[in-house]
Amino acid sequence: MEQLTLRFPGAISFSLLIALILSIVHLPDSWQTWRPEWVALAVIHWGILFPKESSYIHAFIAGLLLDALWGSSLGQHALGFVIIHFIAVRMGERIMPKTFSQHFFLVFICVGTYMLVNLWILGITKDKPSDWSYWFPLLSSLLAWPLVHAILNHLHIANKSL
Amino acid sequence: MHQKDSSHTRTLHFFGFVFLSVLLLTADHKRAIPAARTALNIVTYPLKVLVDIPYSTTYTLTRFFTSHKKLSQENEELRRLVNIYSARDQKYRSIAAQNQRLRESLKTAKMFDESFLLANILEVDTDRFHHRVTINKGTQDLVFEGQIALFGNSIYGQVISTSPHSATVMQITDPKHSTPVRNARTNETALAVGTGKTNTVSLEHIENLEDVKTGDLYISSGLGRLFPPDFPVAVVQKKHYNPADSLTTVTAQTVTDFKRSRELLLIWQARNTTEKQ
Repeated sequence: MEQLTLRFPGAISFSLLIALILSIVHLPDSWQTWRPEWVALAVIHWGILFPKESSYIHAFIAGLLLDALWGSSLGQHALGFVIIHFIAVRMGERIMPKTFSQHFFLVFICVGTYMLVNLWILGITKDKPSDWSYWFPLLSSLLAWPLVHAILNHLHIANKSL
Repeated sequence: MHQKDSSHTRTLHFFGFVFLSVLLLTADHKRAIPAARTALNIVTYPLKVLVDIPYSTTYTLTRFFTSHKKLSQENEELRRLVNIYSARDQKYRSIAAQNQRLRESLKTAKMFDESFLLANILEVDTDRFHHRVTINKGTQDLVFEGQIALFGNSIYGQVISTSPHSATVMQITDPKHSTPVRNARTNETALAVGTGKTNTVSLEHIENLEDVKTGDLYISSGLGRLFPPDFPVAVVQKKHYNPADSLTTVTAQTVTDFKRSRELLLIWQARNTTEKQ
């Protein structure tokens, strides 16, 4: 049985902050459509591996900050990330942590649900995106997942015990 | 038993946070909590400045290492322009004075002067559907909501939210933005609505579609009394007839190049400030 501990206190908040910065770094227009949902991926990672240490408060505050940074309706991304955290914790208990195909499935469900909720909110606030490019980040998030997962794995240590 | 208990509280927490988010969303949609957004803008401003640092440093460095020859060339060019503009300004002043005299003799309202302030745009992205930028001037510099931003001699957008040291400006290409315009050639009015695509607006509510030609310049009409009249807004790019819904869409390219802008001009019209009070 592996016991995971965080490398330093506040590692979760630190990684979420980096993800927030990556979400607003200036990209050329054609690339911007493909920007992965960095914060969502970080929330999923911590939800799977540290269901006790990471909490809804992390997800909620990260969402509020992203709403302020992106200028979206307050609470839109907060709601999305809270839902992601819920799904990630619930499904994380049921998957094998080392099986990659199951990871992909989980990320697909989480980010997919999150984007669907966002789409509803955009629809209600009459901001609805006009074309299919709305869903591109789902694909890029799936592609970015192994990278995010590998990098965030450096923020905790596995204590092997019998 | 303990396991089940903790999962139960987790679910309760989940619904609590979902409820809180939905509450926030409704309140924000009804614009009931502007203070919350201002507070969050203040908190996130350092992050935006941090992200902007690489861009502003490259900008400063490239300016610092420009060759002497190029600088003196630029300087000469600018000097020439200042001479031309000061001559024109003299002419403008005499015309303005004359206008004022005529208005006085006609007993109509006086024209007021405008003042300007240059603000830097932070090189920070918003989400893909909004065309909004953050600038480094806020209520401390008397920036107010609904203020007009110009880029050179064309319209850039308007201020939609402010905090003490920064403000958010909505570009005219944002899907939620529309600008009252008129055709410079035929004087027909229209509405330039943002499309969410860079440098593109669509022209709506045109009465006489046959009259619109590719290359027509649309300027601000001054209707709605928000934008100053006669500033260039967009040039008609193409007319597209859609047989499916028998509607013709007119897309136009904005005169402002939003890709290149790093600075914008904030404008204070005396009329607006008196209206606000």
